[in-house]
Amino acid sequence: MNIKDQGVVPAVKDEVSVAPPSTGNGPRRQLPEAFALVVVLGALVIFFTVTSPVFFTTNNMLNMLTSIAVIGIMAVPGTILLVAGQVDLSVASAAAMCGMVTATLAESLGLGMGIFVGLAVGLLVGIINGFFVTVIGVNSLIVTLAGLATFFGIGQLIGDGQTVLVQGFRDLGTSRPFLNIPMPVIIFVLALIAGFIVLKYTVFGRQVYAIGANPVAARLVGIPSRRVIFIAFALSGLAASLAGLILVSQLGAASPNNARGYELLVVTAIVLGGASLSGGRGTIIGTFLGLMIIQVLSTGLTLLNVQSFWQSVATGILLLIAVSSDRLRERLSPLG
Amino acid sequence: MGNSSRDKNVLNVRGIKKSFGGVEVLHGVDLNATAGRVVALLGENGAGKSTLVKIISGDYEPDSGEITIGDQTFTKLSPISAADLGIRMIYQEINDAGTLTVAENIFLGRLISKNGFVQWKKMRQEAKRILEELEVDINPNALMSSLRVGERQVIEIARALSHSANLLVLDEPTAALSGDEVDRLFEFIDRLREKGTAMIYITHRLDELRRVADDVVVLRDGNLVLTGDAKEIDRSQLVEAMVGSKLDAVGRPPIRERDLDLEPVIRMNCLSSSAAFKNVNLNVFPGEVVALYGKVGSGISEVAEAAFGLQRPSSGELEIQGNSPAKSPRGAIAKGVGLLPADRKREAAFLGLSSGKNLVAPYWSGVLGGNFWVNSKKERSSFERWREALRIRVSPSGAEQSISFLSGGNQQKVLLARWLNAGSQVLILLEPTRGVDVGARQEIYAVIRELADEGVAILISTSDYEEVVQVADRAVVMSGGLMTRELAYDEVSVLALTDASGG
Repeated sequence: MNIKDQGVVPAVKDEVSVAPPSTGNGPRRQLPEAFALVVVLGALVIFFTVTSPVFFTTNNMLNMLTSIAVIGIMAVPGTILLVAGQVDLSVASAAAMCGMVTATLAESLGLGMGIFVGLAVGLLVGIINGFFVTVIGVNSLIVTLAGLATFFGIGQLIGDGQTVLVQGFRDLGTSRPFLNIPMPVIIFVLALIAGFIVLKYTVFGRQVYAIGANPVAARLVGIPSRRVIFIAFALSGLAASLAGLILVSQLGAASPNNARGYELLVVTAIVLGGASLSGGRGTIIGTFLGLMIIQVLSTGLTLLNVQSFWQSVATGILLLIAVSSDRLRERLSPLG
Repeated sequence: MGNSSRDKNVLNVRGIKKSFGGVEVLHGVDLNATAGRVVALLGENGAGKSTLVKIISGDYEPDSGEITIGDQTFTKLSPISAADLGIRMIYQEINDAGTLTVAENIFLGRLISKNGFVQWKKMRQEAKRILEELEVDINPNALMSSLRVGERQVIEIARALSHSANLLVLDEPTAALSGDEVDRLFEFIDRLREKGTAMIYITHRLDELRRVADDVVVLRDGNLVLTGDAKEIDRSQLVEAMVGSKLDAVGRPPIRERDLDLEPVIRMNCLSSSAAFKNVNLNVFPGEVVALYGKVGSGISEVAEAAFGLQRPSSGELEIQGNSPAKSPRGAIAKGVGLLPADRKREAAFLGLSSGKNLVAPYWSGVLGGNFWVNSKKERSSFERWREALRIRVSPSGAEQSISFLSGGNQQKVLLARWLNAGSQVLILLEPTRGVDVGARQEIYAVIRELADEGVAILISTSDYEEVVQVADRAVVMSGGLMTRELAYDEVSVLALTDASGG
């Protein structure tokens, strides 16, 4: 049979071993996944509440949400991409680079123009990523890895490696427009809701799941895979620039080192939340729970005065656990 | 190389029985292989050929029976002991190291070395000698990947023979070969025969028998039903032995009155597609079921795919519903054509998604009406509708369950319903009942007949002759990329099909 998949190349397509279908026990696995995450999150919250008096306070909750907001905004299109079998490792560098663009232009052209161009650059990043993956046909892992290095370099070039201060740009990152909830959190929640609706209730979302589940079959039922993945990358780039701007606003300055290493947390959160590296599975709710687990762990350890270096170790171990449980899930599942 | 003197009995297998999970698949089978003779092993899929051969090569152990090699007798073999005894298997799929040279491949796994250092020069010389003895004109320094399929196969055989081989077992060796390469392989086998190599040749292709085999053994349903001289035995005797009484048992569907004024929905005129098929003339009218029949590699799948926009024809005319064909699946679907691929798991089913979603998938293409929002209610009601119509056996919450929980037959029904739900007026089905149980098979055939009654044009591409007999109004047989015969309604029969397809 000569049907070749002329669609896009999935990020990480491992050989899934064939297991015979089980005796039709139904969706017994679907509920436990989110459930397991809630249990883990609950356990962590309880643990830290008990060990630190400051943990379970409104202030701390809002702080945690604020901390995870930047990563979370990038994790929404990141989830869409992973479900489609792709990955965007360039988000963090793109965020930093866009921040540098905005900060540098703000000096000469004004803040409004700076913001506009910064966002436009983010969109352009997404378009470039999308182009290389869907048109040239390079594996997204490699394309965005190249992007990671390139955008970081460009960010350094823009400001000569220096941090650039920005005046009058505090609202986006620090204002609390309503109910004392910080603006980044509001944006994060809006992004979550938008992502949730898209994946669950739109045809675009269905297309994404189909492409991730079986790219060949998706093409054969007429799904425009290249277009869908291109759009997803564009959204990811845009989200990265938005995240980068929020960071600049929070810090009052842009640096090429902003968001350094965030892509790792984005992917960890998404995979922890139940998405499969080979595509076709994953939910926004899962990603949110994954994000919360990461943040609770990080904040909790900080409140317990654990050295921040341990947090990197914890993140690394979390990623390993997340990916391992993904692999185990695939091998034990009845999916062929 | 085999040193056996002529007519010496190399392999003698008696009374082999084998069961899997309580089901006996070989009921006491005998087989002989003699030095300098080729014995052809024939049988349908499921007859027991590969089981028998795996017992000979040591992959399986028989439940009872004896295997005698030369003057030693065994009740079972292991892959290592079989290899030690000189039994060499050549499988259908070529397993060689493309990036290494011919010489390295011949000595794969047993490179000539001294003190851990490979003796390249000696190895190349040995390879050259081996190839010369077999009168094979291939450069031992050439890269395997630069060789053509037929040549790679010859090297694989050379490798098998290069170290004390007694018996060569060839599994469908011509399956992937073109005309010239087949002739060269046969010449090569002639030389091996002269050298006194004993060979077992597994094949479907009755045409080849007379040319290449000395003896014939036919298996059917795990029994030995016929042995004889390949040169003398009659073709229809062979078919009857392979198929048995089923020849007459399989019923034809009722004859259909076709409206002769209608234009063909699929029209192919002298259609060719570089490597895959040549000069195909085919018309499919609305309201009829046409079957393309042939063995794997005969070109039937490629011809069917061309109608869906998956194969770009290199010459000839192709019209779908009076217009030029779509250049992509999207285009074809927009024109009301549906394709059900042969490989359900790899190309048709979204195993991670629910049955309901699998059913409505074409609506996500955007070419069947622009939807933005998902309509879950419609998804569920569509699934209900087709679950009833096609009798898809699924639990009440079936629409939401992953399709992987369904049996093969039920999965296929869902996938077929996918195109019914999309309102396809032209259906292209590739191996529609592969991996489907008998009951579901009949139900699917009934659905296909009904669809044709309602005016849908259906083109089936299949290598299952029973399927053709049971469901097709007429058939087109292909072999080696060419049309060999067109069979009208009353000409369709198992014998006619196997005759025309070369086996």
